[in-house]
Amino acid sequence: MSTLIVSLLVVVLVVLLILSVLVVGLLRSYATVLARLHRLDGGLDEGVEAPSVAPPFRTADGVAAPPTRNASAARSDADQSTWPPAHNLVGQGLSGEIVSVRAVGVPHDTVITFLSSGCTGCATFWSDLADGNGATALGGGRVVVVTKDPQEESVGRLLELRPAGVDLIMSSAAWSDYQVPGSPYVIVVDGRTGRVKGEGSGTSLRQVSGLMRQATGDVLASRAVSKPRADTEREVDVDRALLAAGIGPGDPSLYATEPPVVPAEMSAHRRLDLVAASDPLRHSHSQPGAVR
Amino acid sequence: MRAAAAEPTIDGHGFTVTLPAEWEGRIYQRPTPTTTFSPKNRAAVGGTGINPGRAGSGWLGERTRPILHLGNFPLPVDRGDYGSGAVEIMGPADVFIAILEFGPESLGTALYSIVGLPRVSPDRFNPNGLQRRLPGQSGFQAFFTEQSRPMCLYVVLGEHRNVVALSATANMMLDRIQVGAG
Repeated sequence: MSTLIVSLLVVVLVVLLILSVLVVGLLRSYATVLARLHRLDGGLDEGVEAPSVAPPFRTADGVAAPPTRNASAARSDADQSTWPPAHNLVGQGLSGEIVSVRAVGVPHDTVITFLSSGCTGCATFWSDLADGNGATALGGGRVVVVTKDPQEESVGRLLELRPAGVDLIMSSAAWSDYQVPGSPYVIVVDGRTGRVKGEGSGTSLRQVSGLMRQATGDVLASRAVSKPRADTEREVDVDRALLAAGIGPGDPSLYATEPPVVPAEMSAHRRLDLVAASDPLRHSHSQPGAVR
Repeated sequence: MRAAAAEPTIDGHGFTVTLPAEWEGRIYQRPTPTTTFSPKNRAAVGGTGINPGRAGSGWLGERTRPILHLGNFPLPVDRGDYGSGAVEIMGPADVFIAILEFGPESLGTALYSIVGLPRVSPDRFNPNGLQRRLPGQSGFQAFFTEQSRPMCLYVVLGEHRNVVALSATANMMLDRIQVGAG
């Protein structure tokens, strides 16, 4: 009987020993998993001193990383004096036009979208701007596209990409002024304070707009009281149809009666008076080159 | 560290302007038109046809010249030479200035006999002096010659009731315009 009990105890002890080994093994593997998860979350191995800065910020391929300074897509801090100062834009249009756009000291906000003719990540931004929805989503501020100087861009490609009705300025100086890390990149300038109140990048203008709205809120009031397109087109149609028929600016057939005799010194002052009369065809034929 | 904003200067086609606060400027010369417009080919020649950057604006055979636009409001992309597309969005405190150069055939003619860029005075603004009448607005036009370049000055005020103050604003801006030999 006693032999049986001793044997039973031995078996129990052996089983207990085996179970203990198994439990220790399980705990060890569990600790290993936790340690690896900790490292994946940015934790440190034992004995390694914690760094004083945050781990590097990573973005997906094709998306520009934000500047290393304390930038965020939307600045929520109430002290606006801490926002970086903004800059006015001076550059060149696609047809050689010299362009100045005021972003500082104006009653509206300006959404500056830094794009390039060659960047793959910009494609969705171009299309968002072209359909107008992306720009609208940005909150109603004035939208300006800024590329680098003509020497660094494909002007022909930009002519294809250029969204209708949106200013496109080629200015490497603006990229430098705003310390743009790469394209695509969006900066929102508060016109009243003359400071940058939001900046960041993303995969599309719509995505960035969500971040920007945190900075701009819904208080942006657009001044875009545009002329009805139909009116514009009608005027241009009339002007050009007349020109195609050989009726140019100042053509006598445009005037129902003899124009009033105006002294030479007054004639300059009267030129525009003549075209403001009742004949609807006269309105834009005041001068050569005034027909658009 | 970003530097503070300075007064921007635009320079081109013989015009140089340093822009004070709130003012914007454009200097351009439309590309030589390559086709005759008709309503049927609007898309081919570029939308509304009033974008300075689009070839096809104007008429076939036209010789385009430099143009300067200034405004103390956001100048839209699509503008006519005399400000159509821009004057429609002007507010009561806004001023639009256009200076257009004409060809050498105009040089020495009576119309361009005034030498030097003129200044404006309140009594010379007239609601009928606009390219197209708009409620509340008034305009002024003068022809002159500067640096042997025959030119036209066209000024639009956003609100004629503010003619005294806005005339002074326009003159302040005209003082900043330098016309070179082109």
